[in-house]
Amino acid sequence: MKDNRLYRRIFEIIPGLLTWATLIGLFVLAFIKPVWVAVFVITFDLYWAIRMTYLTLLLVFAYRRLEKEKNIDWIRRSEEAGEVDGLRFGDIYHAVLFPVYKEGLEIVEPSIMALRDSAYPKDKMMVILSVEERAGENVWNNARMLEKKYRSDFSAFLITRHPDDIPGEIKVKGANASWGARALKEQIDSMGIDYERVVISCFDADTCADRQYFACLSYHYLTNPKRTHSSYQPIPVYNNNIWYARSVARILELGSSFMQMIETMRLEKFVTFSSHSMSFKTLVDAGYWPVDMISDDSAIYWKCFLHYDGDYSVIPMYVTVSMDVATERGVLQTIVKQYKQKRRWAWGVENFPFVMMGFLDNDRIPVKTKIRRAFHLLEGHYTWAVWAIIITFVAPLPIIFGGWIFRQTSIGYNLPSVSAALFRISIITLVICVFITIKLLPPRPKDVKPQKMLIIIAQWLFAPVVAALLGSTPAVDAQTRLMFGRYMKFHVTEKSRKSVEPRA
Amino acid sequence: MKNSDKVKRAAAFYVSVTVFIILLPIVLSYSLGYRIDYMASRIYKTGIIFIDSNPAGAAVYVNGKEHPNLTPARIEELKPGTYKIEVRREGFYPWEKDLVVRPNMVTKADRIVLFPLTQDMKKVNDLEVSDFAMSDKGFIFYLTPSGLFRSSPDGSVLRRLSKYSSWPKRLIAKKFSPDYQKLLFFNDRTIGVINLTSEGPRSPIIDEARVDEILTSQDPVVDAFWHSASNYIIVVTKRDIKVVELRGGGTRNIVSLYKFRVEPESVFYDSSSDLLYFTDMKRGPDQRESRQLYRLDLRQKFFESLMKLILRKEIESGDERQ
Repeated sequence: MKDNRLYRRIFEIIPGLLTWATLIGLFVLAFIKPVWVAVFVITFDLYWAIRMTYLTLLLVFAYRRLEKEKNIDWIRRSEEAGEVDGLRFGDIYHAVLFPVYKEGLEIVEPSIMALRDSAYPKDKMMVILSVEERAGENVWNNARMLEKKYRSDFSAFLITRHPDDIPGEIKVKGANASWGARALKEQIDSMGIDYERVVISCFDADTCADRQYFACLSYHYLTNPKRTHSSYQPIPVYNNNIWYARSVARILELGSSFMQMIETMRLEKFVTFSSHSMSFKTLVDAGYWPVDMISDDSAIYWKCFLHYDGDYSVIPMYVTVSMDVATERGVLQTIVKQYKQKRRWAWGVENFPFVMMGFLDNDRIPVKTKIRRAFHLLEGHYTWAVWAIIITFVAPLPIIFGGWIFRQTSIGYNLPSVSAALFRISIITLVICVFITIKLLPPRPKDVKPQKMLIIIAQWLFAPVVAALLGSTPAVDAQTRLMFGRYMKFHVTEKSRKSVEPRA
Repeated sequence: MKNSDKVKRAAAFYVSVTVFIILLPIVLSYSLGYRIDYMASRIYKTGIIFIDSNPAGAAVYVNGKEHPNLTPARIEELKPGTYKIEVRREGFYPWEKDLVVRPNMVTKADRIVLFPLTQDMKKVNDLEVSDFAMSDKGFIFYLTPSGLFRSSPDGSVLRRLSKYSSWPKRLIAKKFSPDYQKLLFFNDRTIGVINLTSEGPRSPIIDEARVDEILTSQDPVVDAFWHSASNYIIVVTKRDIKVVELRGGGTRNIVSLYKFRVEPESVFYDSSSDLLYFTDMKRGPDQRESRQLYRLDLRQKFFESLMKLILRKEIESGDERQ
């Protein structure tokens, strides 16, 4: 890879520069050319209304697929597939890696219990808890306790401590995950298992896999002709504490789930996100997760994409993994927590310079592929950073600053009503979101009152406000930091189910 | 992704793109005020008239033809030109006007007030009134031949404040002091002040308000104003600008601040900053006389120092006389 600091800085600056140029440009033009801004706003509103409708359709397609595949007996189907390219269902080992920082037993243990309850044969499953050394003795003792309690349930149960200050590493989850994967490699080598027979799943500590997850994963792995040139992405849902979470957090996390479902329909852009799986051979060949990037979940995809000269894809799996909603007792604290989490996700923009530098170094990837993927990556982050701000804050600017003459023009007069009419189309999306929310909800816990369901439905009325607040601002923040070279540190979203008390 | 999903997704994508391409020019041209004449295959510019009335719900007629919407009504797709607009509602006087519609612009007539046909007129009370003044504090003051009265705005809670009845004829104006404690009234010769708060104990014998005739001017009074301190009156006559001090016993201080060369055409007093604007003739360097606008600064600080100076001069002149 070209060690060219200048190129890297240019690619780091581009996303933020585009975003700020758009926002400042629109603000300035609202004073001097309000008609231009009004035309832009109406064009954007129409584009957004149609895009929302299109994405909602994809969401419906994905949801129907999820519902359909929920009832499939993946073990039987995998067995029926027989031997494919020298691999049978019974040959596949599943290694599940949990990078753990300070998550307590109440977070980690249910995730391991979900593995124990899996439909997949446990003698073909390995668990690795990779604990950060800096987290302290308490977390390590918890890991030891879990090992003692559950090691007999699985083929192997490893615990390892990731030391601090390894040269070249920064304090990120990817460094811990890579450490754990190297420990696993030793175990696999000692067991004499071919790497291609091992599928590794890197799960956040709060990830509870569906009972059919590993069976489903096995089927896709088995039948995929390019099994080592693919990552396998489940649909993340945030059901662990959803009944206890604050509405603002629920809206955002459900929105993330829906976006992930939509992405499963857009394979040309599909990138790994959060908990995902891949061949252990691929992981070793690509050189493990990046140890100096925050967005390790998507960065590993790009690392593999570059390693295999663009011949790498993500296979969507219509099976869920359930995680925790990042929530707090107070609304304001929840908003802050969500903001930080979304900003960390938006820091995925660091992939843009990483990928572009990789593209510059790699002549084997077709130019067309490079342009297409770079555009998708940049467009995704750019749209994320501007959409909510344009719709909420830029739209009224021509009316406010355009002056008396602009307000007397047809477009000045029509702008609010046309924008409002286009915005109303999003009601269809909201209704569908409500429907899918209800369908995806886990059973109501006994300590939660039935009327909570009404709140969960009514919460969607606040979606435009939440979108205005947290839709774009974390992405602008992340891009601005990258633009000025103020690199983010990994901020762990604290998961604590005890901290959230049930509310009616 | 299954093939069926791929087909559905591709269909949804291309339909979305097509809808966007078709709708964008329609939405933009509509917003910008353009319309398409499909028969003539041409695009033309239009304007909008927006009509709103108080009360709303009135019928709108455009060139004599009734518009389907009642006020507030938005009349669209109007070709540039002049339109006769009528707003009618039963029980109200109709409103009509010729409004000009310009291309891609909105002509607004949104503050139309429709007045009812039957006026709601009532006698406030039975007092014989020479004149009256309305205060912002919610009182009516009646200047009557039998004294000064005060009532609430509907004429009730009537109360006599003073027996004074020699009101000057043809009052030019009545003005409340900034602290609402006094009421200034004047005609072209006489200036009086009503002190609305009684300084003595309340009694049926003593009037609640005291009326003082403070000045009888030789020169016709043009206007009079309250200084923001509420204790000075600035009197503008056709000859000069005077300041009358109200407070204090003994002789009332009356100072002539400025003498006009010719009588002022116009006078304005900015009570928020105590600045008096007036016109006067002055001879320029070219010996030509012209009317110009002047400003006299009567702000508190300047004003107090001026009054001190006058007082000192008076004392000095008194000493000389002794």
